[in-house]
Amino acid sequence: MSATTKIAVHSLADLKNTTDDALPNYLTSLKFKQFHTQTDIRLLLGYSAVAIAGVLFYFDWKHGWDATKAYTGPAVLVYFLLNGVFSYWMWAVEKGCVFEGEGKTGKIRISSTTKKHIPIYELSVTFSHPSSSLKQTIHIRAPFTRWFTSDGYFVAKPFQQWLASEIPIVGAADPNNVVEEIGRGSEAELERVLNASGVNVTDVLGQLKAGGGRKSGVSGRRRKG
Amino acid sequence: MQPRQLASQVLNFALVLSTAFMLWKGLSVVSASPSPIVVVLSGSMEPAFQRGDLLFLWNRGLDTRIGEVVVYNVKGKDIPIVHRVVRRFGGGSTPLRLLTKGDNNAADDTELYAQGQNFLTRKEDVIGSVVGYIPFVGYVTILLSEYPWLKQIMLGIMGLMVVMQRE
Repeated sequence: MSATTKIAVHSLADLKNTTDDALPNYLTSLKFKQFHTQTDIRLLLGYSAVAIAGVLFYFDWKHGWDATKAYTGPAVLVYFLLNGVFSYWMWAVEKGCVFEGEGKTGKIRISSTTKKHIPIYELSVTFSHPSSSLKQTIHIRAPFTRWFTSDGYFVAKPFQQWLASEIPIVGAADPNNVVEEIGRGSEAELERVLNASGVNVTDVLGQLKAGGGRKSGVSGRRRKG
Repeated sequence: MQPRQLASQVLNFALVLSTAFMLWKGLSVVSASPSPIVVVLSGSMEPAFQRGDLLFLWNRGLDTRIGEVVVYNVKGKDIPIVHRVVRRFGGGSTPLRLLTKGDNNAADDTELYAQGQNFLTRKEDVIGSVVGYIPFVGYVTILLSEYPWLKQIMLGIMGLMVVMQRE
């Protein structure tokens, strides 16, 4: 599912996964160094569990139940413990993180979410400038239509412009992609229509969100894989 | 594709398989039976159990009573047999021995036992007593073992689905 292949535009998972894949590509191209520690810990937890199951399977198959039954109980226990920690790690530590890294302009951590049936990409971005330890978190969102063509091709430029314009330290690393809305193009048109009815974009997004399900402070999480 | 992404997807597939296996093993530990769920393969227990019924076994409390339905393995044969206990000998300080018979069979099982064996030793031969069943759902496994190509097709489809879908 690389950025160049065509995807099914009605599949929210495809939209999100393709975008998730494109995000680290863009940031690493700006010389952000990606940290893989959390992913590696998750892989380690998962593969340890699988290894235990594999070893048990081998000995069970080779020597039978009578020889292995003393070890089976502990093995099952450890397996499900590891599996539990694995799930906890994904759910509570990684939280849908798609990129964590550091560049010349600062440190950054980005998590992505979507709400069921709503084609809007939501990012939670935590960043800090190189000289300070002060962390800032911003929540940004944009419709997938901004960087997907109607026949399902990902277009990198508008996506990169969106990120560079919304996230200060990305913008600082890639000033050429920072764009200012000057009241032209489809984006502005949308805004004008919405302004005419007296609501701003975020309100409409909020309404869309409320329409798609219970509105809550906790954003939807997905199992990354 | 990045190596970590590939590793994640392989891991997801491996976790599905290993979790299924470990759940099975967990059930084995709880029921103390090497094979806690079996499928009835013959009609010898009709009308109690039909071919394809799924049976749940329990192997704790080894004092099996007459009338209980047990599953046993005959030495030298792979296929577990589901039959009812009709006689018991020993028990207590001496090892409990059982004679079994299929409800739908004319004779008891002495013919089925290994050569020179006239009874089952509870502890060694029996893998559990039947404590519950679901009719018919096990028929899939009968089909799979009778038509092995179905197995390959099913595995192929499962593998494809896991690799293609990330959500």
